[in-house]
Amino acid sequence: MAAPAQILLENVSHVYRPVRGREVLALDQVSLQVANREFVALLGPSGCGKSTLLYLIGGFLPVEAGSITVDGKKVTGPGPDRGIVFQHFALFPWKTVRGNILYGLERQGMPKAEREKRAQDFIELVGLHGFEDSYPSQLSGGMKQRTAIARTLAFDPAILLMDEPFGALDAQTRGLMQAELMRIFQRTPKTVIFVTHDVQEAVYLADRVAVMSARPGRIKTIVDTKFDKKAENIFKERVFVEKVDEIWHLVREEAIKAQGRRST
Amino acid sequence: MAVRHVTTRARIKTWPAKAARILPLLLARCFSVAALLAAWEILARSGIFTPFQLPPFSAVVLRIWNDGAAGDLWINLALTLYRALAAFAICVLAGVAVGTAMSRSGLARWFFDPIVSVGFPMPKIAFLPVVILWLGVYDLSKITMAVIDAIFPVIAATVIGIQGVERELIWSARNMGASERDLLRQVVLPAALPQIMTGLQVALPLALIVTVVAEMLMGGYGLGGAMMTASRFANSTGVFAGIVEIAALGYALVKAMSLIRRRLLAWHPEAHAPSTV
Repeated sequence: MAAPAQILLENVSHVYRPVRGREVLALDQVSLQVANREFVALLGPSGCGKSTLLYLIGGFLPVEAGSITVDGKKVTGPGPDRGIVFQHFALFPWKTVRGNILYGLERQGMPKAEREKRAQDFIELVGLHGFEDSYPSQLSGGMKQRTAIARTLAFDPAILLMDEPFGALDAQTRGLMQAELMRIFQRTPKTVIFVTHDVQEAVYLADRVAVMSARPGRIKTIVDTKFDKKAENIFKERVFVEKVDEIWHLVREEAIKAQGRRST
Repeated sequence: MAVRHVTTRARIKTWPAKAARILPLLLARCFSVAALLAAWEILARSGIFTPFQLPPFSAVVLRIWNDGAAGDLWINLALTLYRALAAFAICVLAGVAVGTAMSRSGLARWFFDPIVSVGFPMPKIAFLPVVILWLGVYDLSKITMAVIDAIFPVIAATVIGIQGVERELIWSARNMGASERDLLRQVVLPAALPQIMTGLQVALPLALIVTVVAEMLMGGYGLGGAMMTASRFANSTGVFAGIVEIAALGYALVKAMSLIRRRLLAWHPEAHAPSTV
């Protein structure tokens, strides 16, 4: 890659220690470079540690082996330079849509008038106009995730970490949200690491897809998926179908391995 | 989904519709109580019991009315209410504080956990002689008795509530720049509030119950004390009046508490569910 790496992972390992039971090596010597404004999907069977990797980059879990640097600085904790979106939204249920979006801006010390305006801008951006004063419990899954995305985008992180953000949504909503995400990133480009186990989603959204192995998680292959995706029927285009097929085979091998291990 | 949202709003706004739904429930609830009171009245007048064994409900109501006119009722009511609410307030502050400390500090947990484990299930009324010995028989000892009984559900609910806060919620807040101090007040406690409120809803009637029991055992003013005084003078109507007053006060407190809950937890999915009496 020509562009310098914005996120640099070197030999990152992580041991998961449950309160009871034995330790599990979740990640084994993972190395990865992500360039500025690049969209990388992490794809792998469930339990391969892809979410753990995201939490490590986010600074939510301590990096115990190897190193993670963002913009040349070692990651030691969470920071507003790396925004995260969770599968189950993690909205504050006691705050309205607007309140949720305002929270980060308040913590950042933005003046009141400015943050009100900014919150409104992002409410419009994700199409939640008219629901500003609704509580999360009054929203559908897709609307909750729009709120979560708006909340994270509003404090303007350079990097967006997305942990299966559409995994909890029905297929139709997921399709809409994927297209919407593409539209949003065209307006506000970000570096994105996107965890998913949906191959189509990964190929559609990402510039590169990192296929992870079954536990302990390693990066098995990185597939370049950067091609023109603007076509009307992109999901039926030959180049798209071939990429999906190629990656699907890679993931399948790992999924079978993971299954086999679980049943023994 | 927009549809669901709109109906939720509409439901809150159209009062007649809401009243039409609640009214049958309300009547049904009143019916059982009314039937019980009617049976009481009929039974008392039937001659099976002497008026000393069971005074008629009407006589009890009259007695309450007269006590109200004389002012005694209000003094006793105010005293019992003051003691119960003072105890409850202490339980809220101290219980949430201890519960929070237990959830956040291993040291606090190590210290309080055995005390809670032993103290919660034990009959705290056993402390009565000691409390009287140390604190006398006035407000302080009555409030203390109520506190040592009602604080445990608050502690337990706070611990469980805080344990149940999803780590993603905390991570989100930290991601947006919340400091450790912000976290407790802005995220952990609000997220645990439904559980804590449940604990408080258990603690409030408990505080009232123990206050009345303490009043009955220690004497003096207050609804419980007045009942015991009536009992000593073989004033059966006075005893039954006390029972009715305590029942009414308990109902009013529990009702007020659930209104507060609905107000505080307006954001919670339960707030959108159809309300019952």
